Amino acid sequence: MEFTDILIYAVYILIFPGALFTCLFGLWLAGVDRKVVARMQKRKGPPISQPAWDFLKLCGKETVIPAHAARGVYLAAPYIGLASLIVTVLFIPLGGLQAFSTGADTVVILYLLTIPTLAMIFGGSASGSPFAGVGASRTMVSIMAYELPFILVILAVGKGMTPDGYYFTFSLEQITNVQSVFGPNIFDWRLLPAAVAMLLVIPCEVGQHPFDVGEAETEICEGPLVEYSGKPLAVFKLSHAIKMFVMTALFCALFLGGITTGMLWLDVVLALCFCTAVTLVSMTLLNAISARWRVEQLFKFFWTVVSGLALASLLLVWFC
Amino acid sequence: MMLANYIGAIALIVIGFYAMAAKHDIIKIVIGMGLTDYGINLMIVSVGFNEGGTAPIYTFGELVSGMYFVDPVPQALTLTSIVIGACVTAMALALCVRIYNEYGTLDSREIRRLHG
Amino acid sequence: MTYDVYMHFPVIAIMTFFVGAFIVTLCGSKEKIRNVVAGLAVLIPLTLLALLIKPVMVDGEIIVYWMGNWEPVEGYAIGIAIEVDALSLFFGLLVAIAVALSGFYSFQYIRQDDARGSYFTLYLMLSGGVMGIVLSGDLFNIYVMLEVMTFAAVGLTAFRTWNPNAREAAFKYLTVGSVGSTCALLGIALVYAQCHTLNLAQISAILPDNMTPTMVLAFALLFAGFGCKSFMFPFHPLAADAHGAAPSSVSVLISGVFTKTGVYGIIRVCYFLFRTMGNEAVQVLLIVIGCISMFVCVTMALNQHDFKRLLAFHSISQIGYILTSLGLCTALGVAGGLYHAINHTLFKGLLFLTAGSVLYATGTTYLEKLGGLARKMPKTTILFLVGAFSISGIPPFNGFYSKWMIYQATFEKSAETGNIFYALVTVVCVVTSVMTLASFVKVGHSVFFGQLRPELEGAKDPPLGMRVPMWIMAALCAFSGLFPNIMLDYVIVPAVNAVYNVIPYIDTAMGADYAATHLTSYMPLMNGQLSVIGAWSPLSWLLLFAIALAAVLLVSLLGRSNRSVTCVEDSKHAVFFGGEQAEYSHAAGGDLFWGFKHNLRHYLGYMSRVHTGVTNDYMVWALTALAVIIAYCFAFI
Repeated sequence: MEFTDILIYAVYILIFPGALFTCLFGLWLAGVDRKVVARMQKRKGPPISQPAWDFLKLCGKETVIPAHAARGVYLAAPYIGLASLIVTVLFIPLGGLQAFSTGADTVVILYLLTIPTLAMIFGGSASGSPFAGVGASRTMVSIMAYELPFILVILAVGKGMTPDGYYFTFSLEQITNVQSVFGPNIFDWRLLPAAVAMLLVIPCEVGQHPFDVGEAETEICEGPLVEYSGKPLAVFKLSHAIKMFVMTALFCALFLGGITTGMLWLDVVLALCFCTAVTLVSMTLLNAISARWRVEQLFKFFWTVVSGLALASLLLVWFC
Repeated sequence: MMLANYIGAIALIVIGFYAMAAKHDIIKIVIGMGLTDYGINLMIVSVGFNEGGTAPIYTFGELVSGMYFVDPVPQALTLTSIVIGACVTAMALALCVRIYNEYGTLDSREIRRLHG
Repeated sequence: MTYDVYMHFPVIAIMTFFVGAFIVTLCGSKEKIRNVVAGLAVLIPLTLLALLIKPVMVDGEIIVYWMGNWEPVEGYAIGIAIEVDALSLFFGLLVAIAVALSGFYSFQYIRQDDARGSYFTLYLMLSGGVMGIVLSGDLFNIYVMLEVMTFAAVGLTAFRTWNPNAREAAFKYLTVGSVGSTCALLGIALVYAQCHTLNLAQISAILPDNMTPTMVLAFALLFAGFGCKSFMFPFHPLAADAHGAAPSSVSVLISGVFTKTGVYGIIRVCYFLFRTMGNEAVQVLLIVIGCISMFVCVTMALNQHDFKRLLAFHSISQIGYILTSLGLCTALGVAGGLYHAINHTLFKGLLFLTAGSVLYATGTTYLEKLGGLARKMPKTTILFLVGAFSISGIPPFNGFYSKWMIYQATFEKSAETGNIFYALVTVVCVVTSVMTLASFVKVGHSVFFGQLRPELEGAKDPPLGMRVPMWIMAALCAFSGLFPNIMLDYVIVPAVNAVYNVIPYIDTAMGADYAATHLTSYMPLMNGQLSVIGAWSPLSWLLLFAIALAAVLLVSLLGRSNRSVTCVEDSKHAVFFGGEQAEYSHAAGGDLFWGFKHNLRHYLGYMSRVHTGVTNDYMVWALTALAVIIAYCFAFI
């Protein structure tokens, strides 16, 4: 491997689209989300940079470790979650930019995305608080809730039809390539229900209001995060923001891929615009207009309505 | 003629299964296990039977053309299977004794601490 | 045929166990000598089988050993053969590894028990029986070994005198399990009636072209028999009872090895003896049974309150994955199934051993009585987490790789056939996987995290002798997840090729061209090439992850480090209780996953009710399953 190759990979991993950019863009998305929600509710809202300031401020605070906590897991969990999220970003093609697209396919990403949530669950339950226990249990229920529609969406997108015939794939690279030839999947009417289902899966995976049953500040005091403070809490908040970016980027790769202008940087900018748009549609809108769901409502909704949409899409793709 | 054996074997197996499924006395369940064993032994030994065949033991010169003997392999299998069956029955009965000591009953409906 | 010394290895491997069993008995109460003998008896077979990897797996040789040198005469194999192809060796290695690790674990572990002398006798008998099944080339020999194995396993299940449920579990296991043995023996009798031989290779050559109705019955019986030994649905309650009651080191064998013999038997029956696997009806049967097993058992596991019983249900759930994958009858499917088989042995072994350590340290495995052990048993906690992540398929551990292969195999199968059924199988697999994760979150939270129970203050990590086998298993879990290519090249692909091409298996035993003359309508059941439709490279993920983690940690270390650590429960370090005085409270066990359980309460309640624990009910299930399988086979084959 040449030195320049190493340099390029280092830039990929550490700067763009890796660690640094992911963090900044995630925090920006979180800021936009908060701002737009506020405007929708006729409030002025915090500045868009507010999540970033929150992050920095939390980093400077004292880290209190509860007497009952299992220290190793309690402290390691947030960092492991954050690192795995950053790696996941590298596997998702962004516009035309594919940092390591052959490293993982859609199913792998489905599983990689559970790692940060799992880190939060185990971190929370390691803190020894009963609130965290309830939060961990609820978070796990929400994972179970969204995983069924998620896999159905992946299968529906994975089996597509081109004029040459069918293709079956889990590879994100191939999905992108097909879209660049035949247009984005979202314009395929058979995949519309799947796209809607995916839009609903995104806030649940991210843990965004109204699907944030696991954190539910008013009921269980932020669930798994109740005992966290200082840097670990800051890292969790950052992970939450990055998840917004990861999920929207995944949506763009699955449904809005292949839109190309001929220039790579413009494609990337376009993809980022799409990410923002998807954030606004799937998270901000729901966040602003609805109250938090109860956990059993959420589970029922995802296993009936959302899964039904995704299944309808799968059936349409299969039989039409 | 062998048909009767086969019917008998199947009947024994079915009776054994019935006892195991319907009888609540665990001793009777063990008896059911024994019955299925005997049914299978009968089945195997019948499989190797040739009508008019001699015993599969002979020395040179005894066996003349046109003579044949029953298949010795199934008999060996049957012997093995009888031994195994006896061991299983003994083991099951030993367990019954211990269960009776611990639960004070032989009724399978009351021996259900492990459920759900 | 060259006559190399390694021809003798398989038979020595089997005999070592049995001879060891007798010598252990002779040692009486001399614990040191007994441990040395038992240690040798489990290590020698492992070494011998590891030495066979080179000739069998790499060079593709098939070892045939005729007991008493009684070779086939005029195309009829009367003598008993030991025939080791890559598939047998695959399962043999699996058995040897699990037996060795669990054996070393039990030296310390069974110190709590009385009657320690007979433990190793039964343990080695069980190991020998299992090894005999997978290496044997003779159908009746397989049955005998099956009975030896069952007998030893029942003895070990009832072994714990201080466990009040042990005898009940053993009795159920023996009686309901006897249905399986009965079916297998009856099937063998019918096969003998048709073929007049018991040699696997010869039967494989004769049978497939002569599928008379009797043979359909024989197939159904053998299928149900081996299915019972693999504890597939609806034979699963036995497994749950037996695993829960047996000592953990034995549960490792029952779950990791014993069930695999059933899987091995099903492969031999479906892919070799009858070659019915090409028939789509058989594929669907296996897949449906697999899917029901995995889903029913994982939901049952979510209902459990006992660590080991929960693990027991999970092992059937994982067997469901293996059966489903084998039922696909594609190269990728078989590879995924075999890969999952070896992974299941490793991670389930690890989990049972951690459960054993918890039992060793605290005296209970009841989830509601445990909590907060992570602070007292940090090493066990890490081992548990490795096992839990592996079984729930969290990358980059091994469970994920095999599950990922299974997802691809099912989706690819649906691509090949254009049938949406297989795509839905993928969905069932994924949903089961996430429920598996959920139940291990439950275990982790209930046992290792949360607040420490006051009465568990004295718990501590198990001694080194118990930890080392667990570390080895954990290392193997990580290894087989991170280096799938090595596993595939040296272990899985040779075994898949053996399943794919049965001709060498027949010809090596019966003489050249035997297969060609008898198997006139031979067609390979599947395409022998492994092809994947996705991408996943665990090593590059790990590398990226390490870099990202290093970067994140570096950045976090740059800032001020002001941690406040104390073990004193002042108001600052106590758990937040809304301002109230903190008191012991631990949401765990049955309290978790309310939203999920509430929605499925009818289903879960129903499942809980029908698992009555009454022997007769389980018998009815077993017989119904038998009847259904027989009827199905007659209808569709």
